[in-house]
Amino acid sequence: MAVQTDVLVIGAGPGGYVAAIRLAQLGKKVVIAEKDKLGGECLNYGCIPSKALIDSANLVWKATHAANRGIEVEGLRVDLPRLQAWKEGVVTTLRNGIEKLLSGNGITVLYGPAKFVDPHTVEVATAQGVETVLAGAILLAVGGHPVSLPGFAFDGKLILSTKEVLELRTLPQDLLIIGGGISGLEIGMMYRKLGSRVVFVELLDQLLPGIDPSIVAVITRSLRELGITYHVKSRAKGWTMVGDRAKIEVQTETGEIVSYEADAILVSVGRVPTTREMALEKAGVALDEKGFIRADRQLRTSVPHIYAIGDATGQPYLAHRASKEGLIAAEVIAGGPGSLDYQALPSAIFTDPEIALVGLTETEAKEKGKKVVVGKFPFAANGRALTTGESQGFVRVVAEEGTDRILGVQIVGPEASNLISEAALAIEMGATVEDLALTIHPHPTLPEALAEAAEATKGKAIHILQK
Amino acid sequence: MAKEFKLPDIGEGVAEGEITRWMVEEGQSIKENDLLVEVMTDKVTVEIPSPFTGTVLKRMYPVGAKVNVGSVLIVIGEAGEAPTSPPVVTTAATPQAPAREFKPQAAVGESDDILAPPAVRKRARELGIDLALVKGSGARGRISREDVEGYAKRAPSPTEIVEHRPAGDASASNLPREERVPIRGLRRKIFEHMARSVHTAAHFTYVEETDVTNLVDLREKAKGHAAEEGVKITYLPFILKALLPALKKFPSFNATMDEEKEELVLKRYYNLGIATNTKEGLIVPVVKDVDRKSIFELAREIEELAEKARTGKLTLPEIQGGTFTVTSPGKLGGLLATPIINYPEVAILGVHKIAKRPVVIEDAVEIRHMMNVALSFDHRIIDGYQGAEFTQVLVRYLEHPALLSLV
Repeated sequence: MAVQTDVLVIGAGPGGYVAAIRLAQLGKKVVIAEKDKLGGECLNYGCIPSKALIDSANLVWKATHAANRGIEVEGLRVDLPRLQAWKEGVVTTLRNGIEKLLSGNGITVLYGPAKFVDPHTVEVATAQGVETVLAGAILLAVGGHPVSLPGFAFDGKLILSTKEVLELRTLPQDLLIIGGGISGLEIGMMYRKLGSRVVFVELLDQLLPGIDPSIVAVITRSLRELGITYHVKSRAKGWTMVGDRAKIEVQTETGEIVSYEADAILVSVGRVPTTREMALEKAGVALDEKGFIRADRQLRTSVPHIYAIGDATGQPYLAHRASKEGLIAAEVIAGGPGSLDYQALPSAIFTDPEIALVGLTETEAKEKGKKVVVGKFPFAANGRALTTGESQGFVRVVAEEGTDRILGVQIVGPEASNLISEAALAIEMGATVEDLALTIHPHPTLPEALAEAAEATKGKAIHILQK
Repeated sequence: MAKEFKLPDIGEGVAEGEITRWMVEEGQSIKENDLLVEVMTDKVTVEIPSPFTGTVLKRMYPVGAKVNVGSVLIVIGEAGEAPTSPPVVTTAATPQAPAREFKPQAAVGESDDILAPPAVRKRARELGIDLALVKGSGARGRISREDVEGYAKRAPSPTEIVEHRPAGDASASNLPREERVPIRGLRRKIFEHMARSVHTAAHFTYVEETDVTNLVDLREKAKGHAAEEGVKITYLPFILKALLPALKKFPSFNATMDEEKEELVLKRYYNLGIATNTKEGLIVPVVKDVDRKSIFELAREIEELAEKARTGKLTLPEIQGGTFTVTSPGKLGGLLATPIINYPEVAILGVHKIAKRPVVIEDAVEIRHMMNVALSFDHRIIDGYQGAEFTQVLVRYLEHPALLSLV
């Protein structure tokens, strides 16, 4: 007997489960299909596990690098299996929370891969057998997965994806990372702090491709301080086994071949949408040439009763974007007037120091034909940053000349991920630099740097000389 | 098991319709032949009944959506089936659906440069208001929730025509200086139809004056008889009848153009459209087989069609199949206008107001009832001379309505 429902959500990641809960709140009968685990890539293999490990690595690193404060640690030892178990505990706690929320909202969860039979019918292959779901509306929140690199096929032992590299039980002595993007850098810096030697190989001309070079410069300085080797404009040519390690040949910028040995190779060169193998063609859903699902501002696909959100619809791959889209799709499915009209989509990168961005950079604003004023304030002039021993980086505010309206904020520095939301709110509210500057920021705190950067657009920052 | 109901083929040449009103709610129980939805097609609004008895599970489109014939409109479940139930697609074999073309829907008023906080933007969406039209009362034009709600109270519905008030009117000063009114519904049909006619047919208008004193007398006499029959008689049925001899003599006026084949389709029946003004806009119901009906029958039919047009009750057959059109602007008829052909028809007659005017008859000035007629025709098909001849035949019958008994 087929399961009948108002809405079938496919994929229980941060887009899908959030949409399912909102749909239930709006009175819809909801079934959610998940082929793996509740919480999706983000909770199980991405954001949450990596942050748990990054925070632990930072703890180790700070403890062992505080001699200048008179703090010296002896006998510090990292028990990686126990660390992994603790991390798994965090993930499990969160996953159980989602399970409770779904069942508490009366949502049926079916575990298994989903396949379209026709535009309204989907088969979910559960452990107990195939369940046929007939749905009035369907939300595709199927996400993506790491793309493999020719010659470096994932094997789960030596050639690892971002998922597997976060599950290692023994610390790799040497870790080679192909791809100097966000995930690669977060993970590489983390393993370096836990004790690995780390080498990056990036094909393009800078690490963190697409991010403002002035920000990347702060990160590359940090990489050097951490003792991490990196190559840009370079290519991993291939690898061979040497004993139980891999030997990798890298063609560098100058054309010379350098070889590295590693216990593990992380390939983090991008993601592809998980849109194959679910017979989307039987529903008639249009994909773009790269296989991403095409969705409009109401998250509607080419088939009016089928919606799509999150990574499966393309960049940027951000959990909070998927969640936001899930909420909007739920509203639209329930007959509401929802539409994607946010002004600001912040992003946070957990490198050392952290990076957080919202709105336009100076370059992007100029490309849009806007005249801008820019204010920059270094964390080195922020009291609170100095007391934490982390004073690298800066806050930069980009505002429209004349109106003073804040167009974008870039932060690279301590707790950037926690500082960016004030800037996102400012942009959503259409705030000016004065609005930010006139708001009292408590002392001594890191957000003071944001107010100072706003003042700096007028040459009026207090704690730096702007003459 | 639930069934899908598709937008049926509701008339010749109709490929799509716009949903103007849903008449059932999701979850509602319905009987066969209950009206489901109102769809606006080629100038008429059609109310589509349900072929099934059951429960409405899902309405597939919102009001305002353009739907192609053959698209699933609604999903109807069995009686008593829970409204939460989804459709069962009753396809024996499931053919691979072709990927549908992706047409993103334009969102209204979402501009980066509009200064409005998220909650205000949400409120505007709920009220269906384009923020670009709202004047913000805050600093630098910042739009508040009050601005949006105030605008909503003042804003006319999209189909209303904006009334321009004189400057100085206190209430007008709050109104935006410009207003954007979407072209929707019947207006969109007229919009497309008129543009196509003007861009396709080579319009030529020939004007003549007629002495309709005899017709005025005849109608006066007929009024009493008509009243006994319960008919209100206007000049229009006489004019339709008077057209017949000309249409018969010049068949290319009673025709439609098949542009694709480059053929003129001559009609051996006389279905005359009568352009009718309604609140929503101009609509052209068709009086069928004018040659087989008496003046009184025509009068009765015109009255019915006009009433249906005004109340939006016309059915598709009642506006299709025209072979020639008459437009009679009535009291506001003026002296002269240049009617636009009801394409793919080939010609249209405009009749203007009847007024007493001094006329020279055999070197004497007499007071006569005069009326101008304006015949527009497609010069690609009909030459000016032929248009003049056609008009002269018509004029003869209008001036001597007694001859109509010979028709």
